Amino acid sequence: MGALTYWIAGLFMPLFPLSMAFNALFGRVRSATVRIILLLIWPQIGLTLVLAVNRPIPHWCVLLALFTSALYAFRAIGLREVGQWIGYLATSAWALLWVALVVHTDPSTVRLYAFAFSLPLMLLALLGARLEERFGAAYTGLYGGLSQALPRMSGVLVGVILAIVAAPLFPTFFAMLATVAATTPTMPATALTVAGVWLLWSWAGVRLLQGLIVGPGNGTKVPDLSLAATWVYTAVLVIMLVGGVLLTGDLI
Amino acid sequence: MTMEKLVVIVALLPLVSAVLVQLSSGRLGRRVARVSVTFAAVTFSLAAVVLATAVVHGASGQISLGHSWGIFLFDPLSSLMATVIAGISLIVHIYSVRYMAEEPGYGRFFALLDIMTATLLVMVAAGDLITLLIAWHLTGVLLYFLLGQDTRSHSAHRYAFWTLITYRFGDLPLVLAAGLLYHAYGTWSLPAIFSHIADGPVVHSLFGLPLPGLVAGLVAVAAFARSAQFLLHTWLPYTMAGPTPVSALMHAGIVNAGGFLINRFAPVFVHTQGVLPWVFVVGLVTALIGSTLMLTQNDIKKSLGYSTMGQMGFMIMECGVGAFSLAIFHLISHGLFKGTLFLGSGGAINAARKDDGVPKDELYTFVVERRPARVRRPWILMAAITLAVPVTILVAAHSLVGQNFFQEQGAVVLLFFGWVTGAQLIFATYRMRTGNLWRLVTLSILSFTVVVVGYTLISHAFDLFLYPNEAFRQQIYAAANIGVLRFDILVGLVTVLIVAGWVLTYYSEQNGSRQGEHHGRLWLAFYALVSREFYLTDLFTRFARALLTVATRLNVWLGWV
Repeated sequence: MGALTYWIAGLFMPLFPLSMAFNALFGRVRSATVRIILLLIWPQIGLTLVLAVNRPIPHWCVLLALFTSALYAFRAIGLREVGQWIGYLATSAWALLWVALVVHTDPSTVRLYAFAFSLPLMLLALLGARLEERFGAAYTGLYGGLSQALPRMSGVLVGVILAIVAAPLFPTFFAMLATVAATTPTMPATALTVAGVWLLWSWAGVRLLQGLIVGPGNGTKVPDLSLAATWVYTAVLVIMLVGGVLLTGDLI
Repeated sequence: MTMEKLVVIVALLPLVSAVLVQLSSGRLGRRVARVSVTFAAVTFSLAAVVLATAVVHGASGQISLGHSWGIFLFDPLSSLMATVIAGISLIVHIYSVRYMAEEPGYGRFFALLDIMTATLLVMVAAGDLITLLIAWHLTGVLLYFLLGQDTRSHSAHRYAFWTLITYRFGDLPLVLAAGLLYHAYGTWSLPAIFSHIADGPVVHSLFGLPLPGLVAGLVAVAAFARSAQFLLHTWLPYTMAGPTPVSALMHAGIVNAGGFLINRFAPVFVHTQGVLPWVFVVGLVTALIGSTLMLTQNDIKKSLGYSTMGQMGFMIMECGVGAFSLAIFHLISHGLFKGTLFLGSGGAINAARKDDGVPKDELYTFVVERRPARVRRPWILMAAITLAVPVTILVAAHSLVGQNFFQEQGAVVLLFFGWVTGAQLIFATYRMRTGNLWRLVTLSILSFTVVVVGYTLISHAFDLFLYPNEAFRQQIYAAANIGVLRFDILVGLVTVLIVAGWVLTYYSEQNGSRQGEHHGRLWLAFYALVSREFYLTDLFTRFARALLTVATRLNVWLGWV
């Protein structure tokens, strides 16, 4: 029963090849609201299933989770579509929750990590939808130079992507730091893999940013984010920063 | 107010400035720079007060802003480095006011500059591993955005990415080291960890290796990535598409953080065996390769980039021989002169447009410009002066600060490099074209004496300030020692190599026109190798492209899900 539950959980805390189901679903869904709901509840369902088993996580799960995380982080560097990028980064990040479950005995900490990984991806899903509204697609290298045409949206994009790739002081940073630090002495190979995944996220994030905001711009006249929307996004980012320091940061 | 609180204020002031600049840049326009410069000036003044207090009354204290992390140290290293960073940042701020005036994103630039300053100040004052890791990681991220200030330029962002990815690579060993230390000692606080290590250095081990050695190795790798050591250096010369003030700040206050990190972890390094000699080797290779590559560059900023690489190699080498405080003096003096060179590089380019500075043919200068022909002296006499004078000055200068310096291998190595440098200087002077050779040689020797005595006295003062405990200083040197026989063989071998190099140079100069075809081809091949930077950049670029291709093919095979 336990093994079956783990496999079912592997759909939600993605384990390859079950991870393909989530990405196929995420790719088919075009509504930003549904995407946000998916990003919010998907890993929490997985965590609920795993915690219900109430047994130590089997070693094969951790190995498969590390492989899944590394595979999707690596594949993300070759992506150009924002929606796919969100799906891959979500898969890569949520897979690491298996590792977090091994090193953290407190389930609420891992739930917090899952939420920390999901929140900035939810914001990017919203921004991706705004880009699709304006340009017909959220695709890197297609229009470029957003910083010239849409400075407010570019600023918010930068903040959100930094939060996703676990830059300091966002909650994701502390989640990654705690996972690497906790695994280093007892599972050094795991720590190295997680560190490698973190590095690949940075690469994938920079490629996405460079494809969207860098360049001379093509002169397209599209409306930027409203001032009010910019303030709302900024407020959420600031809340994430404060939350990072006070919640996930305090747990280290 | 206690000095510990002042350290926190010094670190946080630029952050306040950044927020103010960002919020008021729309309203104030270009005048927003005044806010930033004012805050930078106040930050520097307060940092100077902290340093003065540390010098006069000594520095030892810490303040914690959080539960388990957020500790700021008030110690000699943090107070000294904070003043240096705040000073360089102030100069860069003032320079940028006019330099960046025509650039888009003026307010954003100053806000980023302020956040970078705050991050560096937090880094040097960090008293726990998490605060240090946050600042260490954030430096790379901020540098990426500062180097990519021109968001229209793909090339600026391409090379900024190289910097970021190398820095991120260097962050990871530090995270691993932090994990090991926390697991072993149950605290993130650096002073507490250092105290535990001092009490029982070999209590913990992993894979049969003592913990201090493992941690020191990881810290060294993090320092190598930050300080552009060989194989992790390719980003440094290519980041010149960024604004000149950023290059100045980067070369003066960011790349040398490797030297700072090794100093911060000195209490770990003293309990290691065999780590510092490897640090020395990496530094030596970097110094040699960086200096060689510098000589082949025809772009002033790229040449300065490789010069920095060479200097960073020398700084790491100093750490490798146990001269930790000398590395700090070196990074400060290098920061000041390299910052000046970068800020003056625009003027140098302007001057080069008027006069290319290429030396004219000897016959032309003698016949047309009526300059005196080169005066030659007996080469044996000059060789004797070249070899004997520097070593006499060096030994005399070091005798001023310590009688038993010959017992320390590190000091001998540094003396050796000083001797080579001095000899090279006199050798170059001898080859110069001048009417009064003795006057030039005397002046060169005088300058060399001033530099050596100044360097020796100042570095000794740094030693006393940063590491007042004599026993600890000896421990650092002891950790850098290798077997006497191995050391003597190495020194002998390097001496032979250098002297052979000089003889070869002399021989080539005498028989320049009669060199064989084979020798010429070999020389050209070597020059091609150096001018293409050992093909390392091409290799890394191809590797990155291959990874991207594999990632895309994987996506296609797996149906993009």
